[in-house]
Amino acid sequence: MVNENATLAVPVVSARGLRKRFGRTEVLRGLDFDIPPGRIYGLIGHNGAGKTTTLNAILGLSSYEGTVRVLGEDPFQKRAKLMENVAFISDVASLPRFLRVRELFALLTNIHPSFSQEKARSFLEGTDVKMEQRIKNLSKGMIAQLHLAVVMAIDARLLVLDEPTLGLDITYRKRFYRRLLEDYMTEERTLLITTHQVDEIEFMLSDIMFIRDGALVLHMQMETVSSKFTQLVIADPANVASARALKPIFAETRFGQTVMIFDGVDRDALAAFGAVSTPTLSDLFVALMQRDPGVGAV
Amino acid sequence: MKALAALIHRELLEHKGAFLYAPAVLLGLFTLTLASAFAFNKVKVPIEVGMPTAVKFYEMAFLGMAGLWFVYLMIALFFYFADAFNADRRNNAMLFWKSMPVSDFGILSSKMLSGMTLFPAIIFFMLLVTGLVLYGMTGVATVALPRLVVPTVPEILSSSVQVVSVALVYFAVAMLWYAPFFAWVGMLSTLVGRWSIPLAFLIPGLAVLGENLFVRGLPEIIGGFLFGGGPQGGYIADYLGRRFHFGPEQNLMRDAFLSDTPVNAMVLIENLFSGLDWVQLAGGLIVAALMVFAASEYRRRVVAT
Repeated sequence: MVNENATLAVPVVSARGLRKRFGRTEVLRGLDFDIPPGRIYGLIGHNGAGKTTTLNAILGLSSYEGTVRVLGEDPFQKRAKLMENVAFISDVASLPRFLRVRELFALLTNIHPSFSQEKARSFLEGTDVKMEQRIKNLSKGMIAQLHLAVVMAIDARLLVLDEPTLGLDITYRKRFYRRLLEDYMTEERTLLITTHQVDEIEFMLSDIMFIRDGALVLHMQMETVSSKFTQLVIADPANVASARALKPIFAETRFGQTVMIFDGVDRDALAAFGAVSTPTLSDLFVALMQRDPGVGAV
Repeated sequence: MKALAALIHRELLEHKGAFLYAPAVLLGLFTLTLASAFAFNKVKVPIEVGMPTAVKFYEMAFLGMAGLWFVYLMIALFFYFADAFNADRRNNAMLFWKSMPVSDFGILSSKMLSGMTLFPAIIFFMLLVTGLVLYGMTGVATVALPRLVVPTVPEILSSSVQVVSVALVYFAVAMLWYAPFFAWVGMLSTLVGRWSIPLAFLIPGLAVLGENLFVRGLPEIIGGFLFGGGPQGGYIADYLGRRFHFGPEQNLMRDAFLSDTPVNAMVLIENLFSGLDWVQLAGGLIVAALMVFAASEYRRRVVAT
């Protein structure tokens, strides 16, 4: 695992030896990480890799072994207190469906000390969500917009989004993230997102964590990703053997070309064999998620 | 307190069908039925009962309706507790409520308090409205049944105060008395959802059966005898029978209905208080609080979604 977040800021989230077992199955295998304030983190992994379990531990929704501190508190013991400064969307369908939008806002005003009804109403302006509508009558996209308006109206220091756009069409997904970035993020706020649509959030991430089989395989700032990893596209088959000698971490054939990803290899040295570029997050994900590095090699 | 009040309001919004709309519809039907009975001259008084005074007619009807509203309340509360403690999970809203700065104990306490205070208060309000309807019907009855003497306003007021006082105390004490039963249903609901409906009775039933088979019956069969005779049906059944009993002596209530004298609230309330096992009531409240706490810990530790 690589961790290059050398920062002196007090971390918003800190995990040491985070483990979780379901029966005999160990789902999280001793995670160690810090999330500093003001960052946008992407937690990325396959289904069953342990993303949601990690988030549940951070949010105090489930017990765990090891140490987790969120804003200096033990989340499992102090979940209620912590939620004054933490907001999350774990499932877009989790809003109480029997309420009207107006009733939801009125309740939140009295329940959540950091919720601003004025902000929530302003976030809904320009959407199709009306205050008198029952939530059960809203479309999936409208519910996502409403839920986003709710969490953005909470003056939280940490916002956790677990697959927040699951099942939404591309228009809603793009609008969702644009709104989040433009209207919510500040230097004091920290955002932690998990999603399968890696490419859609790549532009907004400051840091990534790849999780595989309950262990972190990559934890890195995005700037470091571009300097550390290189993608090489080889059009001439004669160069493949020479490039492979530089030990790519991943290789595959696409449309007759060989694509390789290298970790920590000088770009100038690679440029002699083909076109070099920074791999997309999804390409890097595919490269690093293989349990057997040899599987993808051509 | 603001958050707790908001959570209780949430319970009303979620369960207004059972505690607002359905009682209102029942009250409307009751009013219509009575009105049509008088309008079509269908009111018959059996000769053997005799013709009561108009005030007695009003009192009997009011007390009877208080009893019926009480039965409705108890049934509605049973199903409320069987549903509400598990509703967030069933509605897929658990994660939303867990994202609020309210503990699981706070959430479940708001449900318990709603069931013990707000909903009985609404049904009690329905009873008050029923009293008004009955007052109007009493007036109509004096016209339809000329032998009835029109009651004076002080008579009706005095009668209303007596009946309302009795009902208020009985409703309030009954909520405290049955709190552990409702907490039991709620706790089961947290664990097993709507299976709590049969299990609320099945588990005590199995306990009674187990006691009779293995503690009382089996030793007798094999020749030994561990606990002597004990009460009929066993200790558990005996305890549960006493724990479920609530109300004044039957003779007293019958007299209140059938005697010519007006209902005396103090007599009925004193009788209730003197017959009440206050230690059981206090212990029951502690047990209820413990069961809500146990349910909240289960919800906190196990129910993540």
